Amino acid sequence: MNNPQYRQRAIQLREELSDDYFLLWIWDEALGAAGKAGQFYDVRALASLKDAQNAGKIPKLFKPISIYDNQGGRIGFMIKKVGEGTAALSKLRAGDLLELIGPAGNGFPIFQGKRILLVSGGIGYPPLWYLQKELINHNQVYWMHGGARQGDVFPCDEIWTEDGSIGRHGRVCGGMRENIAKYDVNLIYSCGPMPMLASAAEISQELGIEHYVSLESYMACGIGVCHGCAVPIGSKDDWDYHRVCKEGPVFKAEEVRWELL
Amino acid sequence: MGTAINELCKKRPNASELLHSKLGVLELKTPLTVASGTFDLENLEFFDPACLGAFVCKTITRLPKKGNPPPRLYETEAGLLNSIGLQNPGLDAFIAEKLPVYREQLRMPLIVSVSGSSIAEFAEMIEKLEACAGISGYEINISCPNVENEGIAFGVSSEIVYQLVHRLSALTQRELCIKLSPNVSDIAEIARAAEAGKASSIALINSIYGMAIDYRTGKSRIKKGVAGYTGIGIKPVALALTHKAAEAVKIPILAMGGIYTWQDALEFIWAGASAIALGTANFINPLAAPELIMGLGEFLLERQLSISEIRGKVVI
Repeated sequence: MNNPQYRQRAIQLREELSDDYFLLWIWDEALGAAGKAGQFYDVRALASLKDAQNAGKIPKLFKPISIYDNQGGRIGFMIKKVGEGTAALSKLRAGDLLELIGPAGNGFPIFQGKRILLVSGGIGYPPLWYLQKELINHNQVYWMHGGARQGDVFPCDEIWTEDGSIGRHGRVCGGMRENIAKYDVNLIYSCGPMPMLASAAEISQELGIEHYVSLESYMACGIGVCHGCAVPIGSKDDWDYHRVCKEGPVFKAEEVRWELL
Repeated sequence: MGTAINELCKKRPNASELLHSKLGVLELKTPLTVASGTFDLENLEFFDPACLGAFVCKTITRLPKKGNPPPRLYETEAGLLNSIGLQNPGLDAFIAEKLPVYREQLRMPLIVSVSGSSIAEFAEMIEKLEACAGISGYEINISCPNVENEGIAFGVSSEIVYQLVHRLSALTQRELCIKLSPNVSDIAEIARAAEAGKASSIALINSIYGMAIDYRTGKSRIKKGVAGYTGIGIKPVALALTHKAAEAVKIPILAMGGIYTWQDALEFIWAGASAIALGTANFINPLAAPELIMGLGEFLLERQLSISEIRGKVVI
C-alpha cells in the first residue's frame, strides 16, 4: 500500500472529549497495518457529499486529520470542531459512513534509547498520542501540552494554559528550556499552531537538539497532486517548496524556513 | 464503481461506441480527461483508468519553477482559489524522471502540458519532447493566471496566439491543443487565431481571476492576493465561453470549468465540447470520473445518442 487509498468505512464508536473535541473510531485491518505515527487521512462525512449532491448544494473538500491511535486495525481520529468540514464530522454517530483517503504523508521517524521531549499545542495533540505509544518502551519521554483554556488540555506530563485556568500559566514553549535541562533532552517532537512550532524550533536550534515538527496546511488533494499545501524546506540559501501532504507533514525543524511562512 | 466502463459495456455492447470521441488527431475511448495540475497517478489508485480517454499532466516549464509562496489555497463559497504558480521540476527532469513512469503506467494517451515565456522557448520545449516516445499530444498552456510574463501574457493577444501556434504546429504531428484563458475580451477571436495557426484542438477554460479576503482583518487569504478561481462557481462562465468558441471554430474543444457530474458534462457537450475534463472535482469527489462516465453512458444509451450527435446542438 504505497499510495493513499480511498475507502468508505462505518464509524464504530464515537467518544466526547470536551466542548469542541471528539473521537471517531473506525475498523480496517489493512489500513491499520499501513498507517504510521505522524501520518494522516483526508477525511469527510460521506453524508456531506451525498447531501450536497442531492440538494443541489456545493460539496466541500476533504479535511486532513492525523492518526490519533492505530492498534490492531482500530484507527482513531481526534477532531476539533473548527469549520464547516469538521462541524459535519462532529454530527457523525456510530454507524455513519466516513470517507477516507490515506494513510498519507511520511510519518515520524522512530528512535530508541533517547531522552525525548514532546511538545504539543491545541489540536497538535493527537499525532503525538500515537507517537508516544511507539516511543514509550524504548525511550525516556516527557510530554508538555498547552492550550488556550481548560477545554484544550489532555492527558500528558505537564499542562499549560494561556488563561491560567489549569496547569502552568502561559504558552507551552515557555517551559521548554527548563524541561530540556531537567531531563537532559536530546530529541524533540512537536505539533501545534505555526507560531508555537516556530518558537519551539528556535529553542531547539539554539540548543542544538534534533527536532521533528509535524506541520498543518490547507490542502486540496491531500495526496501530492496539486501542490497547494507546499511549505519552504531546505537551508537558508537553498530551499524548495515541499508538499506537507507528501514529503511531510513531518519535517526537521531546522529545515523549515520559518522566516518565509 | 471501480470498473464503471466495463460494467457499462457488459450491460450494453454499444456503450463504448457511443462514448467514443475524437479530439483533433486523437481517438478517445471516452470523452473524459483531466485538467492539468489536478490529477496524477495517485488518483488512479481510486478507480479503473479505463474511464479516462486521455491523461493531461501538470504543466511543465523549460526550467524548474519553485512556485508561489503559501498560502496557496482557499476554498470559497462555490469553488477553490489556487496560487500554485506552476511549481514543477522543469523539462529535463520531467523527461528523465516523470515521463518513463507515465510511459510504463498509463494505458491511455498522454498529453503533456507546457508553458513558456517566449515563442522560442515554447518551440524549444516541443522540439525536445518530439524526440521522446510515449507522448500523444501537447496542451499549450497560455493561460495560467498565477505566473507573470508567461502563460497568460500570450493568451490575451490573438496576434501572438497565431504566431505561437503557427510556429508550434510546424514542429509536430501530435495533438496540439491550445489552452485558452477566460480572462480575455473576445474568446472567439483568440480561438480563431489558434485555428488559423493550425492547432488541432483548443482547451478552455483555464481558471479565472479570483480573490478572497478575511473580513475581520482585511488580510488576503492567498499570499499573492489575486489567484486562479476554479470549481463549481465558474461553470456558467465556462459554458458561455465553450459555446462562443464552438460557434467561432471548427476544431474540437476540450471543455472544463466547474464540471463535477455527468449532467455538467452533457451541458458542455450540448454547448459544443468534443471532450470534457474534470479539475477541481477530482479533489471534491475521488470517484467523480467513474461516476461521470457511468451517468453519461447511461444517458446516451437510454436515448441511443452518440456524443457527436448532440455536440453543439444547444437549443436557444
